Amino acid sequence: MIYYVAAFSLILIGAYAVLVKKNMIKIVLGLSLIDSGVNILLVALGYINGKTAPIFSNPSLKAEGMVDPVPQALVLTAIVIGVAVTALALTIVIRLHDHHKTLDISKIRELKW
Amino acid sequence: MRKAIAVIFLGIIGYYLLATFFNIPFGIARVLDGVGFKYLAMGVPDTGAANVVTSIVVNFRGFDTLGEVTVLFLAATGMGALLHHREPMKRSRQNASIIVKAGARILFPLIIILGAYVFVHGHLTPGGGFQGGAIIASGFLLMFMSYRSYHVNHVVISRVESLAGSTFVIIGLFGLVYGHSFLANVLPLGTVNTLFSAGVIPLIYIAVGFKVGSELTGLLDTMLKTVK
Amino acid sequence: MYFDPVLMIALPLFAAFLIPLLGRVSKEIPKYVPVVMIGFNLYESIMMLPHSMVKPIIVIIAAWKPPLGINLTIGALGNVLALIISLVGFVVAIYNVRFVQKEPTEKYHMLYMLMVAGATGMVLTGDLFNLFVFLEITSISSYALTAFIRDRNGAEAAFKYLLIGSLSSTFVLLGIALIYGTTGTLNMADIAEKIQHVDSKITIVALILLVTGFGVESEMFPLNGWAPDAYSQAPTAIGAAFGGIVVKAGVYALARLIYTIFNFQGVFFFILIMGVITLLIAEMSAIRQKQLKRMLAFSSIGQMGLVLIALGLATVRGVEGGLFQMFNHAMIKPLLFLSAGYLVYYSGSKDISDLDGMGRKKPLLSFFFAFGAFAIMGLPPLSGFWSKFIIISETIRGGFVVVAALALFGSVIEAVYYLRVVGRLYFKQPNESEKTKYVHASAILAMSVLALVVLFAGLFPDMVMSYLKPAATELVDKTAYIKAVLTAGL
Repeated sequence: MIYYVAAFSLILIGAYAVLVKKNMIKIVLGLSLIDSGVNILLVALGYINGKTAPIFSNPSLKAEGMVDPVPQALVLTAIVIGVAVTALALTIVIRLHDHHKTLDISKIRELKW
Repeated sequence: MRKAIAVIFLGIIGYYLLATFFNIPFGIARVLDGVGFKYLAMGVPDTGAANVVTSIVVNFRGFDTLGEVTVLFLAATGMGALLHHREPMKRSRQNASIIVKAGARILFPLIIILGAYVFVHGHLTPGGGFQGGAIIASGFLLMFMSYRSYHVNHVVISRVESLAGSTFVIIGLFGLVYGHSFLANVLPLGTVNTLFSAGVIPLIYIAVGFKVGSELTGLLDTMLKTVK
Repeated sequence: MYFDPVLMIALPLFAAFLIPLLGRVSKEIPKYVPVVMIGFNLYESIMMLPHSMVKPIIVIIAAWKPPLGINLTIGALGNVLALIISLVGFVVAIYNVRFVQKEPTEKYHMLYMLMVAGATGMVLTGDLFNLFVFLEITSISSYALTAFIRDRNGAEAAFKYLLIGSLSSTFVLLGIALIYGTTGTLNMADIAEKIQHVDSKITIVALILLVTGFGVESEMFPLNGWAPDAYSQAPTAIGAAFGGIVVKAGVYALARLIYTIFNFQGVFFFILIMGVITLLIAEMSAIRQKQLKRMLAFSSIGQMGLVLIALGLATVRGVEGGLFQMFNHAMIKPLLFLSAGYLVYYSGSKDISDLDGMGRKKPLLSFFFAFGAFAIMGLPPLSGFWSKFIIISETIRGGFVVVAALALFGSVIEAVYYLRVVGRLYFKQPNESEKTKYVHASAILAMSVLALVVLFAGLFPDMVMSYLKPAATELVDKTAYIKAVLTAGL
């Protein structure tokens, strides 16, 4: 259960950064914190007490002694998507900084928010 | 004020979500007829890969992985489009000290080999194309950080990227032509737990490894070029 | 005769990977790749139509039967939407051939093609997590395309869009986590079977999370803050494509969720109310806009509000009306956007007040714009009339008289602001003329195709409806869909 709490702490810290922080880099950091939180949550959902990683590297391992492999596969996908979004977000921040010479999001308000 | 509202708002949402997730007991095999346990039972005999996560990522849910590779490709493309012909910022990137430089030279080939090892053995050990690719990119990052003038050839990178990506789809199309469905395995499964096993899984993972490695390296290079 | 439908997704991805190589051979090739690939998708979706109307086509991927592997489930609904998406995508791709001048054009075409492929994947897939992956493909390419012009406001709009979009994808992932944690499966039909046995405390939260997540792409209030900026700051063709492609895929995901996967009656009323609010707020905002494209964007949100009302009715006839409205919106909004893009270009200003007298200077463009405006307002012989008529009469039949009155009120507001623009085009004295460049033939072709489709659908609504009826039935009665997936063999 502590894993759920940890995952949600990360998600909420990230969401707090996205909502409150003015610096765009910090907002992007918040987004990737949220991603990590969700990923931890997914892996925690697949864990089964006392069981091991789903790799049959030696014959003594049995399928009964292994955790659910699907969440791990999903997390792999989710991580890659997170990386892609972060990279694109940083690129847009670079562009915004070029145009406005500031990272403060409260000063970039030409369009109505 | 704004902070207080955010904290209260997030607190309420977080509380309800957490309360919901507490209804799903942690660490207990809850859904016995779910697909997860079927994968565990079928993974080794039916795909030949000792690593069940790999067999899910590349075979059972291989279509997701194709999408995933595309997402990364999109990020690289989008970044290239948005930073096209951008004037570099006027700030100097410092050369690292001699110790870092000498160390980086020694470590760089080892990191590349480790990355290659990880993606070639993706069906046997923890790891795979994404992890191996990320390790390779970290090797390049080390070089970018220690040598100011170090840069990669973007033409080569984009060619590797294109070829690796199309290899993935071509392997899938072979499955369609010879095995009745896209991404179906068309090669013999071989002996489990040996390097040449698991049919097309290692081939796809090698392609993914090249693709992810070159894409992440390209991303890093594009980002660093903006701080010259 | 159709080819394996998986090619509709695999080939565009393949082509996108190859574009950098092809671009080295000749600078001309990348322009035509999206036209060819999306043209192929158009062919496929037309050819599959007679088959998917009878029963869903199940495409197995990687030789694993549905609950195990990912599969494409192409029912009537998915097929109709794939057809809409590829038709709009094809037309806009033709427009793109000459319109896109801004470097790097090669990357523009790649991003555009992947956006269309992602949306196609969203409407075809039968797997919840796969839906998420395609959602991300669609939205990441949209973020990049929004900022493609690389000016101040483009980047700002893209950042806003990205922020809302990635928060929404977090919601989707959390919802998927809840569903997988309780049902142990990701196949949508399989989930629909198993979710009945799950504690409703958990499923309702999963439903809220997923509806919030997909509500962003389907422009549901209050998650549509990105839309006006993204529509107005993105290149014209992309603004057109958002309405016809991205939003359609988002609405499809929403409909699939509330009708097929979950089994809550209460959610329909919620969607109905959200639809009314979305419609009214969007139309009120649209009438206050000074910029043409922003006005179109708000009008687009309003149209989606109408679609949500129709989906909230949960009757076959109502859903049919909603699908017809989606079809109309997908054809008319690109027509309006493409003509508006040229009008804005020739008047040299984004403001509506500078369009005076364009009807004389640019008769053809103004005609297209006026035609689109009349169609979307719902003037009787044109197709917008039929969909609005069905939705509003069905709302009254469902007993929601107040909702019907509000929807009519929204339509009146819509008529007012469109007529205001059309009036300016034709009944005002033009300013001194500056630019007199001609319109590209490919743009005229693209707009004529859309206008002809709208005219045709308006004259023969029964023919369109005959294809929408199986699609609506598939949504309202999910048993056939579930049975087709779970009994699929190799």
